[in-house]
Amino acid sequence: MKRLLTLLLITLSLHASEAQNIIKKLEKNLRGDYMYATMQMIVTSKRGQRTVKIESWSKGNKKSFIKILYPKKDRGITFLKIDNQMWQYIPKIERTIKIPPSMMLQSWMGSDFTNDDMVKESSLEEDYNAKILSRKADLATLELIPKENAAVVWGKIIVDVDLKNSVPAKETYYDDMMQKVRVMTFSKVEKHGSHKIPMIMELKPLDANKKKNRTKIIFEKINYDAKIDPSYFTKHALKRYSR
Amino acid sequence: MLLSLAFKNITKSKGRSVTTILLSTIATIFFIAYVALMDGSHQQIIKNSVEIYTGYAHVNLKGYREESDYGHLIEDANIIDSILKNERAIKAYAPRFETYALLSAGETSVGSMITGIIPSAEKRLSKLESSLVRGRYLDNHDTHAIYLGNELAKRLKVDIGSQISLVGSSIDYSIAADLFTVKGIFKTGLFDFDAQSAFVNKPYLDTIMLSDNKASYFTLTFHDNDHIDRATTALQHKLPSAYEAVNWKNLLSALVQAMLVDSIFGYISISIFFLVIFFVIMIFSYVNIYTRIREIGLLRALGLTSKDIFGMLFAEILLLATFSIVIGTIIGASIAYYYELHPIVISGIAETYREYGVVSDEIPTHFDFFTIAWNALTIFVLNLASIIYPVSQINKLTAMEAIRYV
Repeated sequence: MKRLLTLLLITLSLHASEAQNIIKKLEKNLRGDYMYATMQMIVTSKRGQRTVKIESWSKGNKKSFIKILYPKKDRGITFLKIDNQMWQYIPKIERTIKIPPSMMLQSWMGSDFTNDDMVKESSLEEDYNAKILSRKADLATLELIPKENAAVVWGKIIVDVDLKNSVPAKETYYDDMMQKVRVMTFSKVEKHGSHKIPMIMELKPLDANKKKNRTKIIFEKINYDAKIDPSYFTKHALKRYSR
Repeated sequence: MLLSLAFKNITKSKGRSVTTILLSTIATIFFIAYVALMDGSHQQIIKNSVEIYTGYAHVNLKGYREESDYGHLIEDANIIDSILKNERAIKAYAPRFETYALLSAGETSVGSMITGIIPSAEKRLSKLESSLVRGRYLDNHDTHAIYLGNELAKRLKVDIGSQISLVGSSIDYSIAADLFTVKGIFKTGLFDFDAQSAFVNKPYLDTIMLSDNKASYFTLTFHDNDHIDRATTALQHKLPSAYEAVNWKNLLSALVQAMLVDSIFGYISISIFFLVIFFVIMIFSYVNIYTRIREIGLLRALGLTSKDIFGMLFAEILLLATFSIVIGTIIGASIAYYYELHPIVISGIAETYREYGVVSDEIPTHFDFFTIAWNALTIFVLNLASIIYPVSQINKLTAMEAIRYV
């Protein structure tokens, strides 16, 4: 009996460590030291559809710089994220504004992403305990439960992982009451350097009042090998690279 | 005969009668004044919230109350305007466009509620203009002018003439941004409102938010706001089916509920006081009736039935209660009426209780015939009920037992 229990415990811990390994591999694949990208964000809501073109530079998950290229009205608006702080530069009024914590849950550029989504540094590997729920050929479904002291807003995340490419296929987010809040789907995996990336991401909130809402991000260019000038990650960059 | 016997007993036992009258009169005065003060202060809090900004009623797209976003705007404000214009029951109305935006001055940024208003129309609908403490109120031709709550001005560290930037989202979800000069600072006393609200001339805000001919809702006041449920229902019938007319009872439902809970606790507290009064009168009646037990025994021996005895004692308390309730009601109602016209002033109460919506040191009472009537009736019934137990006890004794009772 004792041997059976020990065997069970070893199996469980191997299972958990396998889940952690999957997450670790996934994050390593998605996150490069530096990343440059251009993308389109298509926001669909009750009021219609809107396309925003974005250029972004990032260093790990701590620093990023975003510039709006389109529509014309928003062209030149820049965002800088350093750690968990965010600034915004508006060329029309020539002002740099720090986004206060009270605005973190507001929508980012009218999308279904919040300012908090843009600045959060949470790492699935560091902040969540992973458990394999099912595994079929190259597709595994993992349950991620936040670690006790992790500063995250979700109660649980269920991730379907494409094991062959180490990319997520679908992420379902639950709030702390374990109610489904939003679903993010990933598609069109492409190889860029040593990374395999889903080029299309679609976020769909599940709120009854937002039935028509969805935000689709389509990557146009991704470059993981570019060394990015550190000057992009300073407050001066907001105005300087706005033009 | 029972009534004259009862009257004779009252005049004979003056001490007992005066004490009963005093107890009942004071209880009546206290009850009427307490309820009038409680109702008065609740009404004052609600009235402040309604009149300072919210307004007596709103017309908005159905669903706006649950989700106040750009998906629930009035898309053609002119249609609603033409309906409200022809509604005779409406005294004044105006559209408002509310949005959440970032106000920034120097290094400080604060998320705020920015509202586009028609400055001239708001004068008849809210107390925004009369709450001005510095600078000036908005006018219908203002462009880059902003009118800020005093607490918001403190948070932004700005004063009259300061420049602040506004960054929000236009209704097409593009970035809306502009620079404004602080023209006026207001203080309503509602702390959260003063700490979060800023106002801009709506036609100008519309150019930034791309919200021309759009509104979050219309605020309005009726000629007769005392019958607001009837007026709102009548207005609802004239609106297109996608819109709703909502009055302050729903707009401020959380506050109304809070006042109701407070009233319930108020009545629980005062019912403890009445329980004491009730038992004092009952014990007093009990002792009193037992001191007269031989007299009652004698009356029974003379042929009065237990029903007659009950009738006599009941008539006594009926006379005493009627007298004291009449006196108590006159005094209590006079207090309620006087302090409704000349509210009680407690210096510093607004400062202490501002988060509960108390914006004035004046606390008026509420004079209402119906409320006073049921208050008086309650004390009256308590008085009558207080003799039931002593009389039932005494009626258990036979005439001989009563005469021999030591």
